[in-house]
Amino acid sequence: MANINELMEGWGFGKQTAIGTANAGTAIWRHTNLNTKPWAKVPVNEDDRAEIGKGHEFPTQLFRSHYNMPPFELSKYASSEFLAWAMCFSLGNVTLTGSGPYTYVIVPALGATNATGLELPYFSFVQQIRPGGSAVLDEMLVGCAVKSWKLSIKNSPGRASAMCSVECVTTGQYTAPSGITLPAVSTPHEFNAGMITALTFNGINYLSGGSAKQFVSMDASWENNFRPGFFPGSGSQDGYQIQGRFEWGDRAFAVQFVVRVQAGSTEYATLINLTTGTATFTVTRDANNSFSMLIQKMGFSVAELGNTDGIVTLQITGVQLYDATNGLVTMTIVTPITGICQ
Amino acid sequence: MDWVLMQSPQGELREVEATTEALTPLMVAGWHQVPAPAASPVPVAQKPVAPTEEEK
Repeated sequence: MANINELMEGWGFGKQTAIGTANAGTAIWRHTNLNTKPWAKVPVNEDDRAEIGKGHEFPTQLFRSHYNMPPFELSKYASSEFLAWAMCFSLGNVTLTGSGPYTYVIVPALGATNATGLELPYFSFVQQIRPGGSAVLDEMLVGCAVKSWKLSIKNSPGRASAMCSVECVTTGQYTAPSGITLPAVSTPHEFNAGMITALTFNGINYLSGGSAKQFVSMDASWENNFRPGFFPGSGSQDGYQIQGRFEWGDRAFAVQFVVRVQAGSTEYATLINLTTGTATFTVTRDANNSFSMLIQKMGFSVAELGNTDGIVTLQITGVQLYDATNGLVTMTIVTPITGICQ
Repeated sequence: MDWVLMQSPQGELREVEATTEALTPLMVAGWHQVPAPAASPVPVAQKPVAPTEEEK
């Protein structure tokens, strides 16, 4: 038996060369995770109960079917390293520059021009408990992809004020034992809400001017809506069919935020007038660690009056419009780590 | 200022200023980063230069 806090998790910060080719150990980092569940492997069996000709309706035989791998959540305090990783692997079109710190500029890939079509970069995931001769758990899941992420900013103290959770999927292919010696756990450069240095949504600056100090919280999320990856030739493991690709479907980018209401608040007018503008969210820890989300054209679809902890607030639902020149959103991340998604 | 070598979907290579403003429209149009060659085997477009006044 083992306690769950013995679980060590590492995953590829570099991308796999192909969905079925695992990351080398040199491209795998080790991080902590607030999600306390390991990534379960779920082989599914089927039987012959529906087949007639047996003389009865009961099943007589089992058959291996497929690996039905549940999504897995990486839940972490937002840091420059983790945000760079999440954005690179979820959006797909990455430019890396600099010589330390490194700057990642990331936009959503388009199927028409993406070198891998509708597929995003893949990575490997390693989970171990007491690896070695008598390991409780030691396996590497191959062909993982980022299905979705959620970035949450709250007006609370500490690291929990800036959180990022990432939902991952995997094919069912694995290697056990992993053959990987995980490095020491990384110490990411984490953010908190106090480090926000730009916060302008659709022309309203919530850091300075009349709307300063009015911002309460924000939730931004991305969903790739992957299609199931079973197809002729998708592969097998242990006699079970595995998925051979994750193609994005209709992707969704959602932003909601809550602001305090005051005399002269302009959010209602902005909504009613169908006003659109850029939205800039930047959090800066230091010269080597920052994250900026530039939404190229945002309008408001809902402005709902309510209260937050007794203060009158508006919950704004943004509509992120695609700009013909600048696209939907650009993420710019500065971090000391190179090689992410390379 | 850093520069980065980008390639268009049609194969054109261009050295671009590594800023969000300069990179975004190209990346949205499908350009992607390629490694800078040690000795350039293919012609690379010149960096943009400041416009000069035409002679009258």
